[in-house]
Order: sequence, then C-alpha cells, then structure tokens
Amino acid sequence: MARGFRRRRSGSHVRYAAQLDPLERATVAGLMDQVRELLEPAPRTRDDGDEFSSIVAGLGMGVTVAAEDQSELDASAAERDPALARLLPTANRQDDEVAAEFRRLTETGLRRRKASTLAAAADLMRGDDKLRLDEDQARAVLTALTDVRLVLGERMGLRTDDDVHLLEAAAEDLDPDDPLSYALSVYDFLTWLQETLASAMLDR
Amino acid sequence: MSIAPVQEEVTLTGDDVLPDTPWITIVWNDPVNLMSYVTYVLQTHFGYSRAKAEKLMMDVHTKGRAVVANGTREAMEADTEALHGYGLWATFQKDD
Repeated sequence: MARGFRRRRSGSHVRYAAQLDPLERATVAGLMDQVRELLEPAPRTRDDGDEFSSIVAGLGMGVTVAAEDQSELDASAAERDPALARLLPTANRQDDEVAAEFRRLTETGLRRRKASTLAAAADLMRGDDKLRLDEDQARAVLTALTDVRLVLGERMGLRTDDDVHLLEAAAEDLDPDDPLSYALSVYDFLTWLQETLASAMLDR
Repeated sequence: MSIAPVQEEVTLTGDDVLPDTPWITIVWNDPVNLMSYVTYVLQTHFGYSRAKAEKLMMDVHTKGRAVVANGTREAMEADTEALHGYGLWATFQKDD
C-alpha cells in the first residue's frame, strides 16, 4: 500500500519521503520510460510484454509513433501524435509563422530536457521502496509525473475538465478488465501521487 | 484578493522612443494539470508569492486562461519555453 509524499526536515536538509511497493514503482518508472521514448525515439520492439503497452494497444493506439514522423520538427502540430503535440504545444495561437519559428528554435532543447528529466525520475523510481528525494530530485519526479499524466490523459481523451468527470462516471460501468478501466486507475494513482508531492513542495 | 503588478514599472528616461508593444505569456486551462502543481510552477518559475500564484492559477481554472507575465517578446518566449518544460499549456503573443 503506497504512502504519498511528505516533507521531512533532517538537519538543514529537506527531503520528500514516500513509500511505494515494487509493482507501483515499476509501473510509474515504465510509464516515464515510454514518455521519454515518445520524446526521444529509439529503436525498440513494440511487443515487449510491457503492461502499459498492452493498455495502450487495447485502446487502439500506440504510445510511440514512427521515428521518421518525429524527426520532422517542422511538421505541423496537427499531423503529430496528439500526445506529443500536448507535450510540445503550439506557442502562439495567432500566428502560425511565429509558432513555427519558436518550435524550430526550442523544440530540440525542450525534448532533450524533458527526456533527461524523465530518465532521472525513472531512475529514482527504480531505486528503493522508500523514496527520499532532495529538492532537485523531487522537482524531476514532479515534472515527469506531469508529462506522463498529460500523455495518459490525452490517450484517454481528456480534453476538458468535464471529460474527467464523464470518464469517471463511465468507468463505473466498465468491465474491470477493460483496458480503459485499468488506464484510469493508473491515471488516478499518478494523480494522487503527484498531488501529495506538489502539496509537500508548495509547503515552504 | 489583490493582484500585485506582474512587473515593476519601467521608468522611461529622457527622449526614449516608445517601448515596443508589450508581449504577454498566457497559461491555458487543461484537465490534467493539478491546481497545486500550477501554483507550484508559477511560484517557482516567476518567483511569485503564494497568494499571487494561487490567484493566477484560479483564473486559469475558472476563466480558462490567465496572463501570467508581460514584457519583451524575448522574455515571453523564454517564459513560454520554460512553462512547456513544466508541461503547462502556455502561449505568448502581443498584448492587444
């Protein structure tokens, strides 16, 4: 049974402590890996028995898109995997040229930073059941959880605040074995975990 | 709740030309980002007080968007890039 993050002071240091079981840690780390791969595509086999891959396959879409699609930095956001588009949104809604210029200048760096944060957070999640994070590590986990929830939310079709409530209501009638039901329970777990961490970090 | 100015007033000296039209950075509402997280990001990135960050966060949540900063285009681009790094749905534009 997981225990959410709490702020702990040890001497002059602040640590953010939580406890997750191995399955929970592996699930979160695995999702962070997949979002990192979405941002920084690397050759991999799709059918690796990964739990989340199966969920996504069940939803009828893949988390990863073809590498050749991702190398097209100038490809319009509309043609992209919507989850990738959500991670790297349009920066100017009034002027497509300004938006494209911004993308050209910032996207490679943003992808690299996000991938690096996701990798660091996944490593931390794989460490030990008892997590004790310093401020920088906590920020990495907090940010990585956001990117994972953004991708998962996009995959589940969350576009407005109402969608969340509609999905929660619909989920009550779903078969527990339905991939969407499982995806929602994972999403809810990540939301809870992130809320405990964000609240602890706000508490300065 | 009152809102502190987003930026300190810039004093123009002598015969300065008019400053460029100010640009703004906007954060848009989305169903995924947590209220606590958005508050944390606004405090961390902009150095805003808890009260100001929460006010802006509530504007995003209830009005669908909030102007979180204003200044030069370069500064607004940098803010937007940083906020994308945090996963917030940010845009920059001229302040019409």
